Amino acid sequence: MGLKRVLPLLAAGAAIAALVFLAWRTQSVDNATHLQRLANLRKVDALDVALNRAVTQVGVSSMASIADERAATTRQLGDTLDALDRGALRLRGLSPDVDRALDRFLDTIESKFELAFDFEARNIQIHQRLIQGLDAVPALADTVQAASAPDVADTVSRQLGRLQSEITAHAVVQTPTNGPTILGLLDELSALSSQSEPMAEQMRRLRARCVEVMADKAELVSRMADFLNRPTAAQLLALERSYTAWHSRQVAVANQYRLWLAAYAAILLLGLMWLGIRLRRSYRDLDRANAELSHANEHLEEQVETRTRDLRKALDELRASQAQLIQSEKMASLGQMVAGVAHEINTPLGYARSNAQIVRDALGELRGLCAAHDRALAALTGEASDAAVAEAVATAQQLAQTVAADELGAELDNLLADTDHGLEQIAELVASLKDFSRVDRSRTDLFDVNAGIDAALKIAQNQLKHRIEVKRAYSPLPQIECSPSQLNQVFLNLITNAAQAIEGPGRIFVHTAAGADGVVIRILDTGSGIPEDVRARIFEPFFTTKPVGQGTGLGLSIVYRIVEDHGGGIEVRSVPGKGSEFCIRLPLRQARPATPPNPAQAAA
Amino acid sequence: MQDTAKARVLFVDDEPRILTTMRMLFRNRYELHFADSGQRALELLKTQPVDVIVSDQRMPGMTGIELLRTARELNPDAMRILLTGYSDLNAIIGSINEGEIFRFVSKPWANEDLTATVERAVKAARVSAAVTTSAAAESGDDPEAAVPPASMPGILVVDDDPQVPPRIRAVLGADCRVFGAASMDEAVSTLEREPIGVVISDTRVEDHPVVSLIGTLKQHRPELVSIILTERADAGSAIDLINQGQIYRFITKPIHDSQCRIAVSSALRQHQRLARDTGLHQRYEVESAPPPPGDAPVSGLLGRIRSLRGLVKRWV
Repeated sequence: MGLKRVLPLLAAGAAIAALVFLAWRTQSVDNATHLQRLANLRKVDALDVALNRAVTQVGVSSMASIADERAATTRQLGDTLDALDRGALRLRGLSPDVDRALDRFLDTIESKFELAFDFEARNIQIHQRLIQGLDAVPALADTVQAASAPDVADTVSRQLGRLQSEITAHAVVQTPTNGPTILGLLDELSALSSQSEPMAEQMRRLRARCVEVMADKAELVSRMADFLNRPTAAQLLALERSYTAWHSRQVAVANQYRLWLAAYAAILLLGLMWLGIRLRRSYRDLDRANAELSHANEHLEEQVETRTRDLRKALDELRASQAQLIQSEKMASLGQMVAGVAHEINTPLGYARSNAQIVRDALGELRGLCAAHDRALAALTGEASDAAVAEAVATAQQLAQTVAADELGAELDNLLADTDHGLEQIAELVASLKDFSRVDRSRTDLFDVNAGIDAALKIAQNQLKHRIEVKRAYSPLPQIECSPSQLNQVFLNLITNAAQAIEGPGRIFVHTAAGADGVVIRILDTGSGIPEDVRARIFEPFFTTKPVGQGTGLGLSIVYRIVEDHGGGIEVRSVPGKGSEFCIRLPLRQARPATPPNPAQAAA
Repeated sequence: MQDTAKARVLFVDDEPRILTTMRMLFRNRYELHFADSGQRALELLKTQPVDVIVSDQRMPGMTGIELLRTARELNPDAMRILLTGYSDLNAIIGSINEGEIFRFVSKPWANEDLTATVERAVKAARVSAAVTTSAAAESGDDPEAAVPPASMPGILVVDDDPQVPPRIRAVLGADCRVFGAASMDEAVSTLEREPIGVVISDTRVEDHPVVSLIGTLKQHRPELVSIILTERADAGSAIDLINQGQIYRFITKPIHDSQCRIAVSSALRQHQRLARDTGLHQRYEVESAPPPPGDAPVSGLLGRIRSLRGLVKRWV
C-alpha cells in the first residue's frame, strides 16, 4: 500500500481518536453519582440531626425505646459514613480538600459517638439519682411539714408544694428561672424553719437533696450541651461545600472539554464541508467530463466518419499523385531512353540515308557512262563517220576514266554493305524496343530473363558503349511467369544506375542462375559504391543523391515495388569505392494469378 | 595560303561507317582527314592545320564539345561543325559558349545540306584566314585589346520582363550604355536610333520567337553580336538560334553577375573585330531562315531591319 493511501487513513483514525477522547472527557462528570453523593451527605445530615434529637430525648427520658432508636440511628449513620468513606460513591480521594474535610468530619462524629455512649451511661445513672432525689423530696417535704410550726404550716406547705413542682419541672424541663426559684424557695423555707430545730434539721436534708438534684440536672444538661455542640453540621457543610467545589471544578473541566469538543467538532465539520465541497466540485468536474465524454461519444462516430472520409480523400489524392509521379518518372526514364535510342538509331540512319544518296548519284554517273558507251557502240556499229566514231569512243573512254566504274562499283558495294549493316542495326534496335516494351504481349507472360536482360543492355547500349565492358554469365534459365515489361524496366533501371555509378571506364557483370524455386539475377558494377547511410534508404521513394531536378528518386523504389509485387526479393551489397551488387530473386510462378500488381500500370 | 590547294576538312566519328560515307561524299572536293576519336583528332590537329572540323557529339572518351573547345584553342581559324544524333540542352549550350561552333547538323542529314554547310565553312575559313594573317601583318594590334570607351557601342536588352534591362545596367555598370526594349518593335526602333553593338535577348519576346529577328539582323548587320539570356531554354530553339542566328553566347537565367559581365565584354570585343574586318563576317554567316509562317508583325519588322543596312556604314 502506498503512503498516499495510508496517510488519509491515519489522519481519519487520529481525528476519531481525538473525538472519542474529548467526548470521554466531557462524560467524566456523572450527574447520577453526584446526586447520590449529595443525597448521602443529606442523609448523614439527617441522621446526625436524628441522633441529636435522640440524644436530646434520652436526656429527658430514660426510656429504653429511645435508646434503641438512638442505637439504630447510630448504626445507620455509621453505614452511611462508611459509604462516604469507602463505598462506590465514596468521597475520599476526590481531592485533598475533600479528604481533609472528610477526615475532620469523621473525627468529630466519632468523638460524638463516644460522647453519646458516655452520655447514655451517665444519663441512666444521673436519671436514677435524679429520680431518687425527686422521690426523696416529697418524703422530706412531709417531714418538713410535720416538723413545721403550725403558724407557718400553711405557708410551708404551700412553699413545699411549689418547691416540689419546681424541682420536678427542673428535672424534666429545665428553665433558666426555675433554678433560682428553687434556691429562693429553699431559702424561704429555711427561714421559716429557723424556729423549729427539727424542721431546720429536715430542711437542711431537703436542701441538700434539692441541690444534688439540681447539680445532677446541671451535669446532664452540660453533657447534652457538649454533645449537641459538636460541630458536625458545620463540618458536614464544609465537606459538602468542598465536595461541591470539587464537583464544580470537575464540571468546569468537563465544560472546558465540551468547549474543546465543540470547537473540534466545528473544525471537523469545516473539514468535512471542505471535503464535501471538493467532492462536489470533483463530482461537477466528473459530471462535466462525463457530459463531454458522452457528447464526444455521440459525435465520435460522426467525427470518425468525417476523418475517415478526409483520410480516404487524402489517400486517394496521394495515390493519384504517386501514380502521377511514377508516371512522370517513367516518362523521364523513357525520355532518357528515347534520347539514347534516338542517337543509336540516328547514326546508322544517317549513314544509310547518305549512302543511298551517294549510290543514287553514282548510279547517275554510271548511267551517263552507259549512255556514252551505248553511243560509242552505236557509232561503231552504225553508219557514223570515223571522226564521229573516234569522238564517241574518246568521250566514252574519258568518262570511263573519270567514273572509274570498277573502283566505283567496289565502293558502291561497300556503301551498300554499310547501308545493310546500318539498316540491320536499326531493325535490331526496333526489335529490342518492341521486346522491351512488350506492348504487343499480355501483361503476365512466360518470360526468358536472359533475353530480357539482353534487351535492356541493348537499350542501354548508348550509355555503355566504349566506356563500360559488360560481362555476361548466363545460366540456362526456366521461363518465369511475370510481367515482362515491368521486369525489363527493373533491368534497365539497374543497368542504367550501374552505368551512372561508374565514372570513366569500368565493368558491369551480369550473372543469372536457376535456383530451386526461381531465378537469381546479380548485377555487379565497378562503380563508386553506395555509402552505408545511403544504402539503407535507396529503396525509399523520393530518396535521391542526384541534384534537384536530375532524378525523381523513384527509380529504385519502383524497382523494389515491382520485385516485391512479383513475390521476389532484392538485396544490395556495396563497398564504397569498389562497387555495388544488386541481387534479385524471382519465383517461377506467381502466387496471385494475373492481377496487375502495379497501380501505375493502370495509369500507364 | 594557296587558294588552289584543296581545303582540309577533318571528320571525327567513332562509327567507321560514317567516316566511309563522308569519304565517299566529299572525295574529289577537299583534302580529307579522318579520326575515330577526339584524342586522335587532337593529335592530328597538332601536326596538321585544317580549315573545317566536323565532329560527332557522342563519342567514347571525349565528347564532340570537348574536342571542339580544345580544337578552338589549338586552331582558332578552323570552322567547327557538330554532327549530332541527339543532344541534350547542356551539350548544346556548352557547344555555343565554349565551342563557338558554326553549325549543328543533326543525324540523319541530307547530303546536299551537309555539303553546302561544309562548303560555306570552307569558304569562311579561307577568307578569315586571309584576313587574320593580313591584319596581323598590317598592324599587329591585339585583337583582345580593350575597347576605347569613346566609341563604345550600345547594348540593347530585349526582354518583355521590365526588370531585366535595369538589372543588366546594374551588372554592367556606368561604362556601358544599355537600352531596354520590351517588344521587337521597340527593339528595331532602338536599333534605328542608336549605335548598338550587342543585343541581349530572350528566346521569345511577347510570345514571338526571336530567332528570325536575330537571323535577319545577322544577315544584314553581321557585326552585331547576339547573346541569348533566357530561362526557357530548349534544345531545338538553341539549335535554330546558332544555325540561323549565329548567336554568340547562350546564358540561362537567373542572371549571375560575373558570367553576364564576361559574356558582354567578350561580345563587345567580338563586335569590334567584326566591325573592323568585314572578311570575318562569313565566319558568322547564317542559314537563310525559313520565312516566318504568316507572322505579319514580325515579317514587317524584318523589312525594316533590311532598311537599316544603309545606316551601318555610318556607325562603323
